[in-house]
Amino acid sequence: MSTDQITAKRVSTDNTSANNISTNHTKTKHISVKRYLPDSSTETFWQEYDLPVDDSTSLLDALNHIKEQLDSTLSYRWSCRMAICGSCGVMVNGIPKLGCKTFLRDYEGDIRIEPLAHFPVQRDLVVDMAIFLEHLAAVKPYLIDDNPVKPYDPNAPETYRQTPEQLERYKQFANCINCGLCYSACPQFGLNQEFLGPAALTLAHRYNLDSRDSGKKERMAELNRHDGVWSCTFVGFCSKVCPKNVDPAAAVNQGKVEAAKHTLIALFKG
Amino acid sequence: MDKSSSQRLPPLKRNWWLKHRFFKLYMLREATVLPLVFFTLCLLAGMVALLQGAESWQGWIAFMGSPIVLLLNLLALAASLYHAATFFVLFPRVMPIRIAGHSLPDQVIVAGQWAGVVVVALLFFWLLGRG
Repeated sequence: MSTDQITAKRVSTDNTSANNISTNHTKTKHISVKRYLPDSSTETFWQEYDLPVDDSTSLLDALNHIKEQLDSTLSYRWSCRMAICGSCGVMVNGIPKLGCKTFLRDYEGDIRIEPLAHFPVQRDLVVDMAIFLEHLAAVKPYLIDDNPVKPYDPNAPETYRQTPEQLERYKQFANCINCGLCYSACPQFGLNQEFLGPAALTLAHRYNLDSRDSGKKERMAELNRHDGVWSCTFVGFCSKVCPKNVDPAAAVNQGKVEAAKHTLIALFKG
Repeated sequence: MDKSSSQRLPPLKRNWWLKHRFFKLYMLREATVLPLVFFTLCLLAGMVALLQGAESWQGWIAFMGSPIVLLLNLLALAASLYHAATFFVLFPRVMPIRIAGHSLPDQVIVAGQWAGVVVVALLFFWLLGRG
């Protein structure tokens, strides 16, 4: 690399960091957003926007740019900008993605943004996730303890104890941020909305695997039925789209093994 | 469970799987059962032919040797190997094996399953060789 090239590179880096989205080094990209404005029409329509992007522009940045500079009527959810809150899920070219974790540099040509699939749309990119929350609540995703730790006594403190090995068993499944991308990826949930779905079944499994928990029996009633684990056919797309690498498909299918054991044991016990 | 409050969407249309390459591959995996059904029916017909007598048995052997049947059964073999390949990869995710508190690496479990296939195949060829 010649000195000139190195200098040129430095200049471009400086420009980018100083002016962020509006430097000479930005490109213009074209995105289409599926709009739904129930106040004015019951029909959805596609709206096109041209916006300046550079290598660091996330889809969420782009939506914020549209909202602030181009069209204040656009509605979408967001909060943390760092794949923790799970609010900014949308479909990008038909695939569920978090807006903050999707970068426009990775897309050439068409960029089509739609609300998350399999959920009722309230307005533009905002969906109603009530059904997911119902399914989540149904599996009791919290520690259930028959012998709770006693009220804190400073003279004889008693706490939940867990070894690193015990933590390791469920840790991966505890990374779920409830973004709902897996529900949009799951055709079985699209075909039957009573299916508890990937995230709820994963969290049920996560608590079943927790050494501090003794609520497995209560959860099994929900898991071990047609709309529980048995509606899953291991399409596996939920695990592909999960932004936190939770692998819900693995959890749901481990849940099938547990459900089968549960049935067998119940059979022998009579 | 309370099913009253939230709104439900109508089920997806039958062609939902045509939307995406990932879903098409999934349907291909599931469709591997079709040539296997044909192979199973062939085996069943063979057993019936065996019961019916020598003539029927010879007829079945001729049927199994015809090019179209050979082709369909080769397809069934390819389909079952493809299904096995996809299944073997999924297996360690569904049944992670833990020995003395440590989980066995996925590759080891996948390799173990293919080793099983090789052992069964060798046993099969040995039996055929004896006959």
